[in-house]
Amino acid sequence: MVIFSLRQMRAKELGQQQIIEGLKSHDSEIVDDFVQQFSRPLFGIILNYTKNPSDAEEILQDTLLRVIRKIDTFRQESDLWPWMKRIAINNSIMWLRKNRSIRQREVHLEDFTPQFSEDGHLEHPIFSWPVDPEDIILNTELASQLYEAIQSLPFEYRTPLVLRDIEGYPVKQIASLLGLKEATAKTRVHRARLFLREKLIKYFEGQA
Amino acid sequence: MRTLFNCKECVDLLMDYLEGNLDPEIQKKLDQHFAACPPCVKFLDSYRACSEMAQQLKDQQVRIPLELENRLKAFLKEEIKKV
Ligand SMILES: [Zn+2]
Repeated sequence: MVIFSLRQMRAKELGQQQIIEGLKSHDSEIVDDFVQQFSRPLFGIILNYTKNPSDAEEILQDTLLRVIRKIDTFRQESDLWPWMKRIAINNSIMWLRKNRSIRQREVHLEDFTPQFSEDGHLEHPIFSWPVDPEDIILNTELASQLYEAIQSLPFEYRTPLVLRDIEGYPVKQIASLLGLKEATAKTRVHRARLFLREKLIKYFEGQA
Repeated sequence: MRTLFNCKECVDLLMDYLEGNLDPEIQKKLDQHFAACPPCVKFLDSYRACSEMAQQLKDQQVRIPLELENRLKAFLKEEIKKV
């Protein structure tokens, strides 16, 4: 017990106050600890928006720098992590916006939507979903299929989807983050889900 | 207005349906449709599964190369000197 807690102390997770003070005073030891403690979770968030490692690294670097530069504006009574996370998300979104035309090969979402008959009935047969959602934790191939499908979404759809389903933001907040009407944000999440569903069905069918 | 929804109308409203944001009247219409339409139920299940799978990605562990971490540390310490 004692050994364990000693070890924990050595692996020291800095308290919020220490980090803030350290970053404000440009304490280089604290900067090291700050990078050690936060670069991994921030990287995880950024990778949801772009899978390209060199892009993600660039966004991460910029995010960390912004946190340091803006630390004076941080309100002490709030939590540091959500604040940093928001900077990472904003940075990712800005970056994607700037670069989308260069590298996004346009996918036509209509090619990946459910088919209905003329009177609005689902065309049969409807696919039975073969896995539990939790399976994805252990099934790395499935996870990477889903990642890839998300990455292949056009920017306009990918960002709302990531914010809603991965980050768990309410639609209202997504709309304001992206400067969209709520109805538009909602439609985009919905279409993105339909797209992912069709993509994964193609994958499952290929497996069978 | 028709009293029954068809599949397409239900699929269009799935997101609000799952989040419980629909008007109770509309919600009931969807429930009625699903009770009589097994394909839609399957569709609903797969739609929900997809969204839940994405939620699971949140906890995926990422690794960060030590070399990158060192580069970031060096970069930031250089930057703070500039101010
Ligand atoms: Zn139906």
